[in-house]
Amino acid sequence: MRALCWEGVGKLKVRDVPEPTVRADGDIIVKVRASSVCGSDLHLINGFLPAMREGDILGHEFMGEVVETGPGVRRLAVGDRVVVGSVVACGGCWYCRTEQYSLCDNSNPQPVFTEKLWGHSPAGIIGYSHAAGGYSGSHAEYVRVPFGDIGAFKVPDGVPDDSVVFASDALPTGWMAADFCGLTGGEVVAVWGAGGVGQMAARAAQLLGAERVIMVDRLPQRLAAAANRLGVETINYAETDVLEALREMTAGRGPDACIEAVGMEAHDVGPAYAYDRVKQATRSQLDRPTSVRQAIMAARKGGTVSIVGVYAGFVDKFPLGAAMNKALVLRMGQMHAQRYIPMLLDRLATGEIDPGYLATHPMSLEQGARGYEIFEKKQDGCLRTVLHPA
Amino acid sequence: MMGSNGGRWALLGAATVTAVGVGRAVARRRRRHQPDEQDGWYVVRRGVTVDRPIEAVIGFWTDRERLDRALAEWATLEQIDDEHWRCVAPDTSGAGTEWRAELTVTGPGRLSWRVTDGPEQQGTVALVPAPQGRGTEIRAELRYRSGPVRRALGLAGGHEPDLRLRDTLRRVKSLIECGQVIDTRHDPSGRSRAQERVTDKMRERLSTGGRA
Repeated sequence: MRALCWEGVGKLKVRDVPEPTVRADGDIIVKVRASSVCGSDLHLINGFLPAMREGDILGHEFMGEVVETGPGVRRLAVGDRVVVGSVVACGGCWYCRTEQYSLCDNSNPQPVFTEKLWGHSPAGIIGYSHAAGGYSGSHAEYVRVPFGDIGAFKVPDGVPDDSVVFASDALPTGWMAADFCGLTGGEVVAVWGAGGVGQMAARAAQLLGAERVIMVDRLPQRLAAAANRLGVETINYAETDVLEALREMTAGRGPDACIEAVGMEAHDVGPAYAYDRVKQATRSQLDRPTSVRQAIMAARKGGTVSIVGVYAGFVDKFPLGAAMNKALVLRMGQMHAQRYIPMLLDRLATGEIDPGYLATHPMSLEQGARGYEIFEKKQDGCLRTVLHPA
Repeated sequence: MMGSNGGRWALLGAATVTAVGVGRAVARRRRRHQPDEQDGWYVVRRGVTVDRPIEAVIGFWTDRERLDRALAEWATLEQIDDEHWRCVAPDTSGAGTEWRAELTVTGPGRLSWRVTDGPEQQGTVALVPAPQGRGTEIRAELRYRSGPVRRALGLAGGHEPDLRLRDTLRRVKSLIECGQVIDTRHDPSGRSRAQERVTDKMRERLSTGGRA
């Protein structure tokens, strides 16, 4: 079969690779119909998470059709149209039992790397390097999904592939970010990053009761898309001082909750950003925490900062003093896909959420490398490239 | 002239102090990472928490098929009578020889084992209820003969008994909780056979001694 493989830092190539097979009772094989690029792939492609091997197949946000099931699979059958959560969860450990699926104890067969880096190893993630278990990714014609009954969900008829594909990762991640904010109605929520996850977080915050949502980014097209589709307010940080703007927009209070949907390759303007770029380029810090810093400084006293942008290691100039003395609540994590997907599919079916507009650049698998380039450089108004291997 | 000599001496002094300090810090770190020693035995204690009640964990030990899968690639078990088992395993250092061990059930949820033919090794396993309804703690104590150099080589080579113990506990936990030990080796990739061999080595390093 054809698959988009990582070939070294910054290099992608479509190759012929063997097809996956059912290897355990709970496995399913999914014929991939839509597989989205994700901002967190860029960290892998660009070598910021140093656990990629030449030949690894990328892709973790996907949907498709079940073509084979292991003997232990009960909920799914061949022919089912399914969306698959990016996070692999066993369904049988304490974390899975308490719906903290991205912390699953048993789904990362290679736990040493993350155990050394983070103290404990969280769940494996499909197509997300050897730190996350070394699973083959979904930018391929077929993909093996372990624990199929736990991780794959039948898709309601009538929801198009290029919309439901985001129920795999961007939408549950955004939803969890808003869920972390503990909204009770009437709050002001600021969201850093107007990419797929940020926009879904904004929509989730609206549905969970936020009165105003303010999005921060530097790309006019993305901000315009968010304003048009979701009716949010926007701040372009390249032109406006974000902290001042947020303070004024909230009459001095600051946002009740700040959602960070950017991650370790954040952009900014000014000397602090130059400092971060140099430190990251020389690998004396792994992550650029620009937007997290801003979120902490912006949040109102006693507010919440919710982080769903991906960070890998250590950061510098972290405003712990601000977080401590303003008594902030910090919440963060990889999304618990399996907890949210069924509820989100219901909301997709009723049209309450419609992420289809994120798929600005549908492409064939063969165009994968170009698709990532357009996405990374944010060319042509790209929000997401979605690959169609079939 | 004096000034530059003085500078050199100061530099040498500072370098010496730094070297001694770093050396001591390294030695202290190494000491902290050495297992306890008792009567010439290395003693390591490792535990894993399984999200199942004690009866379910004991049930696992009495379920031959699942137990054999837990020990797959490492050992075979043979029951002698109600309280005694015999275990045969290939030598972990890869010398191609076999170990034999005797297992004795010493009480409800407790057993001990002793290597009868092979390097000197013995240990105990005890099942303890975990707090907060978190299931069962499997607590293992392993005693073996080794030394600092052998341990360092074993850790580097991935055949240190301590690493093997951690692997076994992780496998057992996974089998009890979700019926399988997940494996991603030989999943599709664009690697050549030579690249795949190197990657397999790396995968082994990333899995050996890891804890759940």
